[in-house]
Amino acid sequence: MQGRVTKLLLIVALCALGLAVACAPTPASPAPGGPAATPAVSTGPKVLKMARNAEPFSPFVPWQIDDNPALFISVNVYDSLLRTTKDGMGVEPGLAAKWESTSDGLTWTFTLRDNLKYSDGSALKAADVKASLDMARGGEKSAWKDNYKAIKEVQAPDDKTVKVILSQPYAPILSVLAMFCGAVMPADRAKATDTKDYDVAAAWKTQGSGAYYIEGWKKGDPIVLKRNPNYWKGKPAIDEVRIEYIPDDNTRVLKLQGGEVDIIDFVPFSQIAALSAMPNLKAQTFTIQQTAFIILNTEKPPLNDPKVRQALNYATDKDAIIKTVYFGQAEFMNSPIPKGTYWDKTVPGYKYDLDKAKALMAGSAGAKGFTMDMQVRSGNTNFANTAVILKDAWAKIGVTVDIQTQETSVVRANYREGKFMSTPSAWTNDMNDPTQIVNYAMRGGASPFAYWTRYNNPAVNDKITKADLEQDAKKREALYAELQKTYSEDAPLVFIAYLGATAGWQKYVDGFVIDGMSYYRFEDVKLNK
Amino acid sequence: MGRFAYIRKRLLLMVFVLFGVTFIIFGMVRVLPGDPAFLILGDRATDQNAAELRQQLGLNKSLPEQYWLFISGIFTGTMGQSLIYRQPVADLLWKRIPVSLSLALYAMGLAAVTTLLFGIGAAINRGRWIDHVVRIVFLFILTTPNFWFGIMLILLFGLALKWLPVGGMGETPAENLRYMFLPALTLALQLSAVLIRNLRSQIILTMRADYVRTARAKGLREQYVLIRHVLRNALMSTVTIFGLQFGALVGGTIVVESVFGIHGIGELLIQAITGRDYPVVQSIVVVSAFLVILVNLLVDLSYSFLDPRVTYE
Repeated sequence: MQGRVTKLLLIVALCALGLAVACAPTPASPAPGGPAATPAVSTGPKVLKMARNAEPFSPFVPWQIDDNPALFISVNVYDSLLRTTKDGMGVEPGLAAKWESTSDGLTWTFTLRDNLKYSDGSALKAADVKASLDMARGGEKSAWKDNYKAIKEVQAPDDKTVKVILSQPYAPILSVLAMFCGAVMPADRAKATDTKDYDVAAAWKTQGSGAYYIEGWKKGDPIVLKRNPNYWKGKPAIDEVRIEYIPDDNTRVLKLQGGEVDIIDFVPFSQIAALSAMPNLKAQTFTIQQTAFIILNTEKPPLNDPKVRQALNYATDKDAIIKTVYFGQAEFMNSPIPKGTYWDKTVPGYKYDLDKAKALMAGSAGAKGFTMDMQVRSGNTNFANTAVILKDAWAKIGVTVDIQTQETSVVRANYREGKFMSTPSAWTNDMNDPTQIVNYAMRGGASPFAYWTRYNNPAVNDKITKADLEQDAKKREALYAELQKTYSEDAPLVFIAYLGATAGWQKYVDGFVIDGMSYYRFEDVKLNK
Repeated sequence: MGRFAYIRKRLLLMVFVLFGVTFIIFGMVRVLPGDPAFLILGDRATDQNAAELRQQLGLNKSLPEQYWLFISGIFTGTMGQSLIYRQPVADLLWKRIPVSLSLALYAMGLAAVTTLLFGIGAAINRGRWIDHVVRIVFLFILTTPNFWFGIMLILLFGLALKWLPVGGMGETPAENLRYMFLPALTLALQLSAVLIRNLRSQIILTMRADYVRTARAKGLREQYVLIRHVLRNALMSTVTIFGLQFGALVGGTIVVESVFGIHGIGELLIQAITGRDYPVVQSIVVVSAFLVILVNLLVDLSYSFLDPRVTYE
């Protein structure tokens, strides 16, 4: 009797399992756009599937975007007057085909390309550029106003001409105009974004002049980029890009391995080599303008003594950190400026030298040794691992590091109020000109207090202003070289590494690049399958 | 008291409990250190930027004022404005609640099937190898953390066998059934690990009862005895645990959703907590509390169907 019940249960169990598996289609090729795709000759639309680590949260309006996931989509949908070159070192024409300035450097005249159209076919006019730039520099909700301070007025004398008039000469102006936040949308739409009850969901039905457009998006859904038939650079090869977000690093990598997606971003450094070794996959670290370092509070004794800060720098074995924390996917950081425009490769930086560190310590305010806190944001394993290595390394020069793991918001509040001695941090340039990082990390006296180090050197502050005004590229380069040298010697930071951005993809994906500004554009990507 | 009077009483009680929940969660998220403005703006915001944003988001308002906004948001149905997403919380939740709920229900369904199969199977084969295998395997499942177990399932069914997708969500309900099978199974196996042990011992106990012996003596077929007489009585306590475990299931979805890339409220909750998105955290907790209370009410009501002797007093 019991035997019969057991048999019955077994049959039910097998049926249940069978049903679950039967739901699965044959695992031939990941069928794009549903199960109806034909396996032989793919005549359907070319669809690229990407999984990335996060979904956008800012309103999808160029000047209101303050998160990377939205920004990376934005550059595929909206265009600005100028663009940063792929290597991140210069600017190239965008919507503007050419430009010139008056000899005093105060008036810049841009001529738009012929026949510029939005994705819906309507014409893009100079008045749209003016309206968009006015929103970016003066809109109530713009997150990037500070970058446009030098602009006095934007004019659109005719449909093809944009005049940008400055209140004082400002050397980085072209780099500023190449930033994503000054991208162009139709004038009436641009103006509507600043109204109090603007519907942020409406922003996802886009009307831009970029390579792709979006018909609408709801959070949680994949973002679908559709090819813009009117794109000024010519139609992109891929009809549709579907971007879903998978926050877990391992799951994202597994999805790539399983062939469910074509591209993933933020591949953990530890897995780059393993993925690249697979026959059908490629993974790579791209050079972007990113730095990793330790912020020192230069007001807290004995960190107020430059010798102590130099000693900490010499006692830091950067190569060891690059090898163990970043799995070799990073480079020695010699200067506070990331590897972009005006980065000075001749700055020596602090190669690991324990004897020198000990000698410096002996003659400093910290000669007797001291204890300092290092506040680490919880959840950031790279920072946590770096802190552990430093604790060990700095013990050798008599510095006891007290690692305090706290939530990001707490660490930020603490360093803003100066309630810390040291904390690991990282920076990424948003523009290809050093003015942004230099003003943020070197200028003292007011918030953000030289990247919260509270370093304040009046000579440095003056030079920063001078470099912003200097029109001659050679002279500017010389000023930035001096700034890098002085700042490096004063060492308000412990310089660690230049970091890259990582991605992995199927080998049939051709032309995927993360550019110097850490953006990726799909306009040149092809699928060879 | 009739069933309806009982329901009315329980619903009234629910209002009070939920009110208490709003109060506690409102206090708790504000006790957490950290300023949402700094998290939203990132490292490079100046003090002035942060002050402007705080003004914009209403973080300058007094606590009673903020609490009032929270409560009135619940009643107007907008649930307030998300600090990170800058849109009504309700818009975020409406998209995600069905996802989490269907995952939980899917898991409960799978758990019910596995529990019945293995619980009965183990009980009637007490002391034999089937019994031992079931007990050992589910003890192992019970003691492994579900994120690890989930990854193991992905490796086996997703990568090695390629039967099921690794993670993410489908676009049609049928596709979702496939995409959610592994996460639901992860949750279900852990849930049934608790339930199987209970059901097995209850069945064994009930089989010793006099009326079961009588039923057999009458010459009833074993299946009939088992299903009509034993199982119905044995299920009472299993159903209770099933209901109580719903809370744990909702908690479990938080981890499982993150591992499998399912965009439900669990994943949203993690984002909201780390980003100090007060209105979102508050709303999710209130909604989850509501669901847990509701399910427990349903469990209590189900007793009378399982056992006609139960009345509500």
